Amino acid sequence: MQIKSITRDPYLYIFLIFALYPFYPFLGKFISLGSELLLFFIFTLSFNLCLGYTALPSFGHGALYGMGTFGAALTFLHLTPGMGIECALIIGGIAGMLGAAAVGWVIRNKKGIYFAMLTVAFSQVLFGLCWRWDEVTGGESGLTGIARSSFLGMDISGSIPYYYLCFGFFAACAIIIRVIAHSSFGMTLQSIRQNPIRATYLGYNTGFYKFLVFTLSGFFAGLAGALYCFLAGAAFADIFDWTKSGDVVIATLLGGGTASFYGPIVGSLIFLICKELISAFWEHWLLAYGLFFVLIILICPRGLMGLCDRKEQ
Amino acid sequence: MFLVASLIVNGIILGLIYATIALGFSLVLGVSGVLNFAHGILFALGAYMYWVLKDLMGFWPAMVGAALIVGVIGIIVERVLVRRIYGEDPLFGLVITMGFAMAVEQVLHMIFGAAAKTINPPEFAQGVLFIGDMIIPYYRLFVAGFCTVILGGTWLALNNTSFGAIVRAGMYDSEMVSALGHDLPMLRTIVFTIGTMIAAISGVLASSIWSLKPGMGAAFLMPSFLVVLIGGLGSIRGTILGGLIIGLTTSLMSLVIPRFVDIMPYVIMAVVVYFWPRGLLGKQNILE
Repeated sequence: MQIKSITRDPYLYIFLIFALYPFYPFLGKFISLGSELLLFFIFTLSFNLCLGYTALPSFGHGALYGMGTFGAALTFLHLTPGMGIECALIIGGIAGMLGAAAVGWVIRNKKGIYFAMLTVAFSQVLFGLCWRWDEVTGGESGLTGIARSSFLGMDISGSIPYYYLCFGFFAACAIIIRVIAHSSFGMTLQSIRQNPIRATYLGYNTGFYKFLVFTLSGFFAGLAGALYCFLAGAAFADIFDWTKSGDVVIATLLGGGTASFYGPIVGSLIFLICKELISAFWEHWLLAYGLFFVLIILICPRGLMGLCDRKEQ
Repeated sequence: MFLVASLIVNGIILGLIYATIALGFSLVLGVSGVLNFAHGILFALGAYMYWVLKDLMGFWPAMVGAALIVGVIGIIVERVLVRRIYGEDPLFGLVITMGFAMAVEQVLHMIFGAAAKTINPPEFAQGVLFIGDMIIPYYRLFVAGFCTVILGGTWLALNNTSFGAIVRAGMYDSEMVSALGHDLPMLRTIVFTIGTMIAAISGVLASSIWSLKPGMGAAFLMPSFLVVLIGGLGSIRGTILGGLIIGLTTSLMSLVIPRFVDIMPYVIMAVVVYFWPRGLLGKQNILE
């Protein structure tokens, strides 16, 4: 029974596919694209804890990711220069978590549209702050020269070792997020999604649960952002732009995050690859990008996984 | 002293413009429950249409023409895109209108280029007014007056006509409005179109104060968010108050902390949202 349930688990296949990515004949050359995909998977899974499990329409997750990036970059450059990246990664995650906690506490009892508006507004604050406060964040030119060194004594300056570090973090985060989603805490979140009023009458403090899940999700988003800063070797202010938040929302919706747990991974895979391809060949790719958003909502708002997986309905 | 006075006057003028831009956004949000990210780009479209038409026909006809063209675009957007997502998850409306806005912004880029264009104020409003050391361009006074007329007219229409009563009822409980036999889809289309036309007219007015850029829509979208969050939904007085607060903050804070001036409205918004969850003058509405 155990073996059967493991071999049927889509996770196993996702892990297997990505475990061998650097050795694929063609894709293997684009190894940083592979690392970026893995980090984006962590990001969408963390976002899906909010949208898919709790129905919290957060539109400011890009800012939490950016806080992770800048938290890690600043720690690495100023607090632990020349040392390993462990500390920077942890601080990046914590930065995302604290940002989410501060915002989440103010807006924990807001509903639907108000929640979305407030997350947009708060993420704009960080965008403005990052542009203006240039002695810390580097302003327009950003923070550069972040050369990753080692992780727990292992040398990760090459692109393949770093890919496997990202893979390790992805596997760990994916498993932890799924454990959270299937725990009693996750069940409570789902009951809040399905009927918030009934959940309140059953004695759950729904506002507090929303605050908790937003904070938790902020940690994983921040961690993904921190890993990204070492992948890119730099941190720029445009990471706070709302297109980053738009990316994660559309990738989750495309994959059908509201209907399935691994949907966001499928969605981000398709979305990121399309985006890379179009932006490489067309100057006005943002036109196609915008139309893509419109078409997804018009054609399959429940997402691709929502089309095949109907057990929730 | 004159510096502070002129900052206050400028802040009030700016606030009236913000309130006018936010008016359509707030009406659509109230009646349809859609976060219209396309509001900014419709504002920019109004400005660009005016730029195309003004040399052909002069100020007033060009303004009417721009409002009509953008109004038709608004009807199409509402009927084709926004209509599909009424009552769905709020992110759907946000994503679809944002996608539309990005696509149109790129089209503006392709047609008009990325370079900023400046437009001279119409001839009847050129020149400046001197009060002591204070300098106020006549055009800004004209814009302030025009915005006041739009805001006041909308307020009167909402409070004194039967259509206004239906709109107010729609903000409170749209299902009940529908049950009472009013055509709710039509009401939403009309409100969306009116909101779009007001956005286009604000675009025309703003085009001679700031320059025309494809990205101008996105830049004026965020103030609309803040106006609605600070002033509250479902109240025109709230929208005006919200606009004035943001205009005055932006203007006066440029004296105190010029670097972080764009962040100050957000700080005020956070305080307001914490203590007045519905905004300062917000009423109970369909979003709760």
